[in-house]
Amino acid sequence: MALHARYLGGCAVLALAVALTGSPTHAQDAAALNAEAAQNDWPTHHGTYKSYHYSGLEQINAGNVKNLEVAWMHFPERATRGLQSTPLAVDGVLYYSGSYSRVYALDGATGRTIWTYAPELDEELVAKQTHSPYNRGIAIGQGNLYVGTVDGRLIALDLKTGKPAWDLKLLDSKKVTVGFTGAPLVVKDMVIIGAQGGEWPGRGPIFGVDGKTGQKKWEFFTVAGTEEAMATWANDSWRTGGGGGWMPGAYDPETNSVWWGTANPAPLYDWSGADWKKSGPRPGDNLYTTSVIALDPDTGKLKFYHQELPHDAWDFDSAVGEFVMINRGDKKLVVHPNKGGFVFVYDRSNAKVENVWRLVNNINFVKDIDPKTGELIGRRDLALGKADSPLCPAIVGGISWNSGAYSPKTGLYYKIGQEVCMELTVEKTTPILEPMAQLNIGADFKLVAPPDGPARGHLDARDPVSGVKKWEVNYKQPPLASIMATAGNLVFVPDAEGVVHAYNAESGQELWSRNNGMGHNAGIISYMAGGKQYIAIPAGWGSLVGDEFVALYGEPFKSMSKNTGALIVFALRQ
Amino acid sequence: MRILFVIVACLAIIGLWLSTAALAEQSTSAGSASSQAPPEASSSDIDGQQMFATTCGFCHQDGGRAAGRGPKLSKSERSDEYIIERIRKGKAGAMPAFGSVFSDGQIIAILAYIRGLDD
Repeated sequence: MALHARYLGGCAVLALAVALTGSPTHAQDAAALNAEAAQNDWPTHHGTYKSYHYSGLEQINAGNVKNLEVAWMHFPERATRGLQSTPLAVDGVLYYSGSYSRVYALDGATGRTIWTYAPELDEELVAKQTHSPYNRGIAIGQGNLYVGTVDGRLIALDLKTGKPAWDLKLLDSKKVTVGFTGAPLVVKDMVIIGAQGGEWPGRGPIFGVDGKTGQKKWEFFTVAGTEEAMATWANDSWRTGGGGGWMPGAYDPETNSVWWGTANPAPLYDWSGADWKKSGPRPGDNLYTTSVIALDPDTGKLKFYHQELPHDAWDFDSAVGEFVMINRGDKKLVVHPNKGGFVFVYDRSNAKVENVWRLVNNINFVKDIDPKTGELIGRRDLALGKADSPLCPAIVGGISWNSGAYSPKTGLYYKIGQEVCMELTVEKTTPILEPMAQLNIGADFKLVAPPDGPARGHLDARDPVSGVKKWEVNYKQPPLASIMATAGNLVFVPDAEGVVHAYNAESGQELWSRNNGMGHNAGIISYMAGGKQYIAIPAGWGSLVGDEFVALYGEPFKSMSKNTGALIVFALRQ
Repeated sequence: MRILFVIVACLAIIGLWLSTAALAEQSTSAGSASSQAPPEASSSDIDGQQMFATTCGFCHQDGGRAAGRGPKLSKSERSDEYIIERIRKGKAGAMPAFGSVFSDGQIIAILAYIRGLDD
């Protein structure tokens, strides 16, 4: 008996040792993903699940950033519409995607190519797409790298070799026109990805796929995905669709909830005016468009939600994928920016509104949003014909799709705001559903300067919960790239003209800048390779928002190439 | 004004019928085994102004009167043939190909709308 007990005890110790040492990568992955700061790796699109876009590295800091210089560069092939993706870095290897879902694995210290992958896409379909062929990011997990395609597939590549592990068709893109451009999100064994689509008659599905086997496990329709939601689209208008979850959300392990934002319904602009509950192209609230939703990652079941703009009639998505998870006292909160220029603060356990604050000055699609309930106050519902004054913000939004950053060190949230309005004439439209759907807009419009000054952008440093502003930097044109904060007391902003700025995170004082030669509309990251900190910035102009800058600003955008790009990696001078 | 567009569109469609051989050949060559034939135009779907606001206005601002994501179209010096081909075949990375989305009649109606635009 004693021998038996000793034997069992030995087995238990052995089992524990195996558990601790047998899968160290998995344990480290979970810790890294749940941390506030990305450390040596940048393992997921938003840095970590907390979505801070914050690097805990501080080799590069406010004291020495003046010595930052180019370490190496990489040039992607077929960079149509520039580079719009956020790289990832794991164990000293940098991975990133370009247009046509081409993927590159590079030595993080030298830029040496380890492998590349170029999927064969349906080029005939790609030629018919508006929001194409860019790709906005990748995910890593289960020894694989995952990338979506504009022809409706999710592909797994072996992380070490770049060889396809599986290739799964999820969307009939020939029918719904759209596919995937946003990065997937890995949660436990599942790869989660949302479809494009605010202006097309799809149902904006979000998918859960088993990362190891490539089997589809669930699909959640953001358009009329429950009986409750179906009742909010009168006259079967759910068929006009929209609602794509086209940017990756975040994961809260404490409640086992995936937070995701959804796009607007189609058509963008509704001619029914104040009678939108009963008439027009899509009478009702149109759930779950322009909403934040919390899904169970294991089943895809909806847990709770908040519709930020019921019956969105202005194309002000909630598809911004940024869900900044912070704690204040005993409150567990999540901060989410909406394209309309407001920032929502929610209780993380149930999506109850805790506060709503304004990031931008020029807003007139509502008079206000109740900060206690989230209710829209004084909606400006447009009727058929020319609007009597410009709509603010414009179709490009008060907030665009790229992410801000939060520094737990300063307690400040850094976010780009856009000040631009538009004249518009609402038209009655008939959706084109067959044989291939196309955009369903419902208005003619023209971007114009806002009432309080020129069309412009600004970087704000604010308290993420109250919205109280500490400092602000203004730009002639809104920067369109994601920004990054670091433990080195820095905030990096790659701007629209092509200049990367580094600011003191406490004061906003500019400490360093370099011209990358072309505009930025991608994601900046930092990582460690060979004991050295690097900062990687994809440059390359050509997003649909950036396309508007030609008419708004003229040069340098008129002459800026839209079909080239470079990954530019910086390090401290030796 | 809209009546004028429809008249222009109808005349243009008649003109199109006279040169169907060339367009039909281009349509076939642009497609593949997997592509579907464009739908036939009907009298109810050749409202160029409406189609423009549904789809084209996303890039061509102010109903085509101002540059935006795409160029200004009013008073364009491009030929009818050029505009028709651009609508049908698009431009890689800049404009989608609408050849299998719109019927020939619809494309002509959009052209008629563009030609009727004032600045």
